[in-house]
Amino acid sequence: MEAYLVAILIITAIYVLLSLGLTLQYGLTGLINFGHVGFFCIGAYAAAILSAYAGLPVIVGFLAAIVLAGLAAFPIGLIALRLRDDYFAIVTLGFSETVRIIVTSEKQLTNGVQGIPGIPRLVDGVGILSALAVLAVLLAANGAAIYAFRRIVASPFGRMIEAIRDNEEAVKALGKDPARFKIQVLVLGAALAGLSGAFYAHYIGYVSPDQFNPLVTFYVWMAIIMGGVGRISGAIVGTALLMLFLEGSRFLRDVMPFISAVDMASIRIGAVGLALVLFTLYRPQGLMGDFTRRR
Amino acid sequence: MTIDRRTMLQAAGSALALTLTPATGKAQGAPFRIGALNPVTGAGSPYGSGMQKMILAAVDEVNAAGGAGGQKLEAFPDDTQTTPQAAVLAAKKLIEVNKVKAILGTWSSGVSLAVVPLTNDANVLLMNTSGAPALSVPPANAKGLSYRFQATNDRFGRAFAEIAVKEGYQRAATMAFNNASGIGNTTGFKKAWEAKGKKVVEEVVYEPNQSSYRAELQKVLAAKPDVIVMGSFLPDTTIILREWFQTGAKTKWIIPGWAANPQLIAALGLEATEGLISVDSVSNENAPSFKRYDALHQKVTGQPGASNVYAAMTYDMVITLALAMEAAKSADVAAINAKIREVGNPAGEEVFSFADGKAALAAGKKINYQGASSVLDFDQFGDVTPDFGVFFITKGKLERRYVVKI
Repeated sequence: MEAYLVAILIITAIYVLLSLGLTLQYGLTGLINFGHVGFFCIGAYAAAILSAYAGLPVIVGFLAAIVLAGLAAFPIGLIALRLRDDYFAIVTLGFSETVRIIVTSEKQLTNGVQGIPGIPRLVDGVGILSALAVLAVLLAANGAAIYAFRRIVASPFGRMIEAIRDNEEAVKALGKDPARFKIQVLVLGAALAGLSGAFYAHYIGYVSPDQFNPLVTFYVWMAIIMGGVGRISGAIVGTALLMLFLEGSRFLRDVMPFISAVDMASIRIGAVGLALVLFTLYRPQGLMGDFTRRR
Repeated sequence: MTIDRRTMLQAAGSALALTLTPATGKAQGAPFRIGALNPVTGAGSPYGSGMQKMILAAVDEVNAAGGAGGQKLEAFPDDTQTTPQAAVLAAKKLIEVNKVKAILGTWSSGVSLAVVPLTNDANVLLMNTSGAPALSVPPANAKGLSYRFQATNDRFGRAFAEIAVKEGYQRAATMAFNNASGIGNTTGFKKAWEAKGKKVVEEVVYEPNQSSYRAELQKVLAAKPDVIVMGSFLPDTTIILREWFQTGAKTKWIIPGWAANPQLIAALGLEATEGLISVDSVSNENAPSFKRYDALHQKVTGQPGASNVYAAMTYDMVITLALAMEAAKSADVAAINAKIREVGNPAGEEVFSFADGKAALAAGKKINYQGASSVLDFDQFGDVTPDFGVFFITKGKLERRYVVKI
C-alpha cells in the first residue's frame, strides 16, 4: 500500500510542476497556453535520449530538458505574442501537436512510434526506499520552484505580469513592453514543464509519442481550475484533487465490485466533468481561490 | 449556503480518507491473486472489456474445478486506459495493494513495455497480448517472467509474405499507419519478402486522422505494384480503399484482420471489397478448448468467441497459469514460472481444459495444454506462434480459403 501511495505522490508531484508553470503563465500573466504538453514532451525526450541512448549522467539530461524546453518557448513567444487570448491558445495547441509529429517522424533520434524503453531510474534499487528517494528529490524540486515562484510574485516583475493580465493597454500606456515580459514568463513556465518531463521520463522509464497528447495539457488545466487560478496552493490542491478522482476510482471497484470496468471509466470522467461544472457554477475562483470575492 | 476554504478542505479530506480505506478482510483461505489489467477504455476498448470478462470467467472455471495447486484464484480487474501512465499506476496498485502474483492481459506494446519493469522488480508474472519485438528480449524480459500470447508484428509480416508468395505476386508495395503496430507489420513483411528474393517497389508511411489519403495512394500506385500490403486500422483503410476504388486501379490488397472486417464491407459495399485478402491470427478453432471458450464467451458477453481473439488469449492465460500452479503444487512464482513451458509445450498428453489437465497431472502424467487461442507452445522468449487464417472477401462475406503456418 505504502509503495502505491508513494507512486501516486510522485506522479502528483510531477504534475504539480506542470501546474506551477501554467499558473505562472495563465494565472499570473493571462496567457492561454493550450500547448503545455509540448514542453513537457521536449523535456521528457531530452532526458530520455541523453541518458538511455547517449549514456550521459542523469543530471545532464535534466539540464538539457530544462534548457531545451525553455528555448523552444522563445520563438513561439516571438511569433505568437503579437496574438492575444484565443489566437495564442490556438497557436500553442498547434505547437504541441507539431512537437508530437516531429517526435513521431524523427525516427533516428526518437525511435519514432516505438518509443524509447529502458530509461534509467533516478535512484537505483527496488522497494520503498528508492521510491521515497525519488519522491524526496521531486519534493525538493517542487520546493525550489515554489520558492522562486513566491519571489517572482513579490517582485516588481510579478506586479508587472499581473498588470499585463489585468489590463494590457494600461501597461503599454505606461511605456512598458508587454511582449518582453510575456516571453520571459513563457520561457520560465516551459522550463518548469521541461523539468517535469525529465522526471516523468526517468520515473515511467519508457516514452512514446502517444503519451504526449493534448489530454495532458487539459488535465493540468482541470487541476488549476479546480484548485484556484493564480495561486500556488491552488496548483497543489487542484492537482491532488485531480489525482484523487483519477486514482481513487480504482478503489471504488474494490469496494463496489458490481460496477463494471467500462462503467467505472465513464464514472471517472463524468465525476471530473461534474466537478468542473460545479466549480464554475459555485466556486469560479477554485478551491483555494480568494473566497471573499467572486471574479 | 457559503462554503469557505476550511469546509471545502475538510470535505475533500474526508472524501480522501473514505476512498483510501482499503477493502481488506477478504483474505480468508489466502487465494492466489491475479491482476486483470486490460484496455477497457482508450484505443483497446473494443477488446478490453471482453478480455477482462474472460479472465474473470476463467477464474470461476478454475475455482469450480477445485482451484489450482490447492488454492483458489482471485482476480482484481483494472483498466490501463491504453496509456502507459495509467497502466503503471494501475500495475503499482495491483502489486502493492492487492498483492497480485501475476498480471494478465496487457494489450498495446507501449503499455506492456511500461509495465514489465515493475513486474520484473516485484517478481510477478506478466502475460501480454502485445506485438513489439522488444518485449521478447532483455531488458524487458530479463527475468523470463513475461509471456506473450499474441503473434509478434514480425510474425504477422512473415505470414503476409507467405501469402503473397502463394498467390504469385511479384511487385509488392506497403502502406503503414504510423504507429508501432502498423510499421511492425510492414517491416516484418519487407524482411520476409526480401529474404525470398523479391522486391518491395514502394513503401509509404502515413499519418493518422486524415480525411484523404489520395497523395499517399498515388505515390504507391505510381510504382505499379500488383499487391499492396497494409499495416492499417479500420478508419484509414476505409478511406484508402474508397479512393483506390475510384481510381479504377486493379491492385490486390493484403490487410490485417482488425482492419478488413465486416464493418469495412458495410462501409464500402460489395463491389469495392471483392477479392480483398484479410489476414488474422486464428484461434485454435477446431480444438475442444475453443468450444469451451466460445460457449463461455457467448454466456458472458453475448458475442461469438471468434469476435475477439484477445479474449481467447486472456482465457488461455488463466488456464495456463492455473495448470502451472497445479504442476508446481505451489504458490511460489518462481516454481510456477518453471512449469509454464512444461504444461504448455509438447511431449505430454494433449489436454483441452483445466479440469482434464488437473486430472492428468494428478495421475502423474505430463501434459500439453492446447489453448483456445493457439496451441500455445512457448519458445525460449516466452512467445507463441499462432496460425494465420487467410480470408478472401467474396460477395461481402469473409471466406476462409486456407491457413498459413509459419
